This record gives sequence, C-alpha cells and structure tokens, in this order.
Amino acid sequence: MNANTLTERYVHEVVRRIPADQRDDVAEELRAVIADTVEARGATEREVVTEMGDPIRLAARYADRPLALIGPGLYPAYVRTLKVLLGGVLPVVVAASMAVEVLNGGGVASAIGTGIGALLTVGAQMIAWLTGVFAVVERSRSLDRLFRGTQSWTPDDLPDAPRSAEASRGVLASAALSTALLALIIWQHVAEPYDADGDRMPVLDPALWSGWIWPILAGLAGTALCELVRVAVHRWTVPLAAVYAAAEAVFAFSLIWVLHRQALFNPDFLATVNDGKGWTVPDSLYISTILVVLAVSVSEVVGCFRQARN
Amino acid sequence: MSAEELVRAQAQELRRGTVVLACLALLREPQYGYALLETLNDAGVSVDGNTLYPLLRRLEKQGLLTSEWNTDESRPRKFYRVSPEGSRVRAGLVDEWRDLVASISRLTEEKP
Repeated sequence: MNANTLTERYVHEVVRRIPADQRDDVAEELRAVIADTVEARGATEREVVTEMGDPIRLAARYADRPLALIGPGLYPAYVRTLKVLLGGVLPVVVAASMAVEVLNGGGVASAIGTGIGALLTVGAQMIAWLTGVFAVVERSRSLDRLFRGTQSWTPDDLPDAPRSAEASRGVLASAALSTALLALIIWQHVAEPYDADGDRMPVLDPALWSGWIWPILAGLAGTALCELVRVAVHRWTVPLAAVYAAAEAVFAFSLIWVLHRQALFNPDFLATVNDGKGWTVPDSLYISTILVVLAVSVSEVVGCFRQARN
Repeated sequence: MSAEELVRAQAQELRRGTVVLACLALLREPQYGYALLETLNDAGVSVDGNTLYPLLRRLEKQGLLTSEWNTDESRPRKFYRVSPEGSRVRAGLVDEWRDLVASISRLTEEKP
C-alpha cells in the first residue's frame, strides 16, 4: 500500500491520537470506510477526507475524550483560582519586587521596569502552572476519581457553605505563599539583589544550588501543586494528603538540615551585613527556626489528614 | 436566528439520541460501517460518518454490539451486529420511545 496517499496520511493523523491497543483496528476500519465512500459516491479521496473532518476531532470521538482543555466540571474552580492568583497574589509580588528595587536605590524607572518584568514572568508562570494542573486533572479520569475519593456525587459531599469557601481561600493563600517563597528564592539567586557598595550578591548561599536547594524547591513546588489540586477537587482526600505530606517532608527536612549546618545564608552576605559590628547569627536563632519549621509542617500535614478523614 | 434555523438546531438536538436506537434496530442483520450509514440516511435518520463510526465502536465497547472482520471480499470490512445485551437495551429504548411519543402527542394535541 502506498504510504503517502491522502487516506494513509489522514488515518495516521487520527490513530496516533488514540490508545495504542485500538490503533490497528481503527486504522483498518477507517481505510475501508474511506474506500467504500469513495467507491459508492464516485467522490474523490479529498472530498471524503474533508467530510470526515479534523483528525483531532475524530480521534477525540474514538477515544471518547473531551475536546476541551478544562471542562465544565472544573471550570468554576479554575476561574476562581485564577482570579485569586492574578487579582490577589500577583499585585503583592509585583509591589514587593518594586519595593525591593527602590530600597536598593534603583530609582523609579528601574523599579517600574522590575515591576513590569515581574508582572509578565510571574503572571505567565501562574497561568501556565494553574492551567497545566487543571488540564491534567481533567484528562486523567482515574486521577480525578482517586482525588475525589468517590465516583458519584451525593448530597453528603456538600461542604458547609461558608466554612468551605474560607477553607478554599486558606488553601489558596497557602499555595500562593509557597509559590511566592519559591519565586523569592529563585529571584534572590538570579537577580542578586543585595547591593554592597556596587558588589551585588545573593542572600542565600550560592553553594546550595549544587545541593540542598533542589529538594527544598521541589518540596515547595509539590506542596503548591497539591494545594491547587485540593482547590480543583474541593476537598482533601487521603491519597492527596499523603502526596502533600511527602512533599512537605522533603521540603521541611531539607530546610532543617541546611539550617542545622548553618549553611543557609551566603557567607559573603553575612560578612557584609556584620561588617565591623562583631555580631554573628546566634545558634539559638537557628534552633528556634528549625523548631518553627518543624511545628508548621507537622500541623499543616495533620490538618490535611484530619480534613481528608472527615 | 430565524424560526427555520431555530427549528433546525432544535431538531438536531431531538435527533441526537435516536441514532443509537436506529443502529440497534438496523444491526439485527450484520452490516459494515458505510452501508449502515447509507441505510440510516435513506431511512431518514441523518448522521455523519465521523459521528457514526466512533459511535459504533463505543456501543461495541459497551457490549451492545459485536463485530467481526469479513475478509471474503476485495476489501476487509468490519461487520457489526447486535449482541443479546444490545437486544435487551433496544427493547427498553423502544418502550422509552413509545412513552415519549405518547407524552409529546398528548402535550401538543390541538385543543378544540
């Protein structure tokens, strides 16, 4: 068979989008159907293929898949989350980055430039990640079922109206905080914001970037993603809480280890700050920070599981 | 939108569910995709190939149809026919259809 006929090209475009175990069968059937139609109507291959329409649409019908990135079920939660992120979190991030620039003596023009940069990059990241998470939940019916815990909805699933809205807002705020922290860590490394007499340097130890910063960032990203999924599916479930706990553990233990070794801050930065003042960060500050990190993480994880069980 | 266009759009909604019933009725005799499409369209149940062919596979997956490749002729074709389960579903759908027709006729009866 000539592999480059219009039929073959069309069939290939359709079947490569459907599950592998059905490909050969659907391909064979489509070839027969197109040939039958050409023969019976005396039409050209081109006309028949045109009538069959867009291969993406036909493949979606074969695979019984939605032709929407985010379907009607998830759309309200998506829009709500997007509003909070773009309307609430983004302005804070932009304002903070501009304030830092001004504090560093950057001047108005440079502050505006920084603000626009933060607006575009952070805004784009927010939209991209949120859309990605929701699209994955939409596409993966098994994931959706896993996270929802139950397959069919009953009135018992109705959350208490005002408290649930507050809970959702709380989770959103927490996700926003993780994201902001993540952005802050990356930003301080890339932008080297601390200015010591024209010598710019990052606040955190650059050596972390060949080691412990990665589990910290991964843990933060993991918790933020879990919280976004929690908003999408309206409640904590045990599997979701377990994933959240794992991410939180990765984050917290990496951070605690770094704090324990007192390897968090850039030594140059500490030296500049302490220059001539004879002051060093006391051990007790590190220890109390470790305790706070531990307490916050444990209480967050316990809270998730408690809500998942209810 | 004019009245005719509205009628056409709504009629499409009305017809949507009838294709399954028509298939279950016609496929008491084994039939392949294109021939079934022609039979349906000749019988006044208009449906496009890109809707019908995926639908047949879905009904097969649901166990309402069975299929078999026929390689006797020049071109291998997939023949579908109704399974016993499909016959039961067809009987149920026919009852539903009769009830619907009766209800709608009562509702749309011209009042004297």
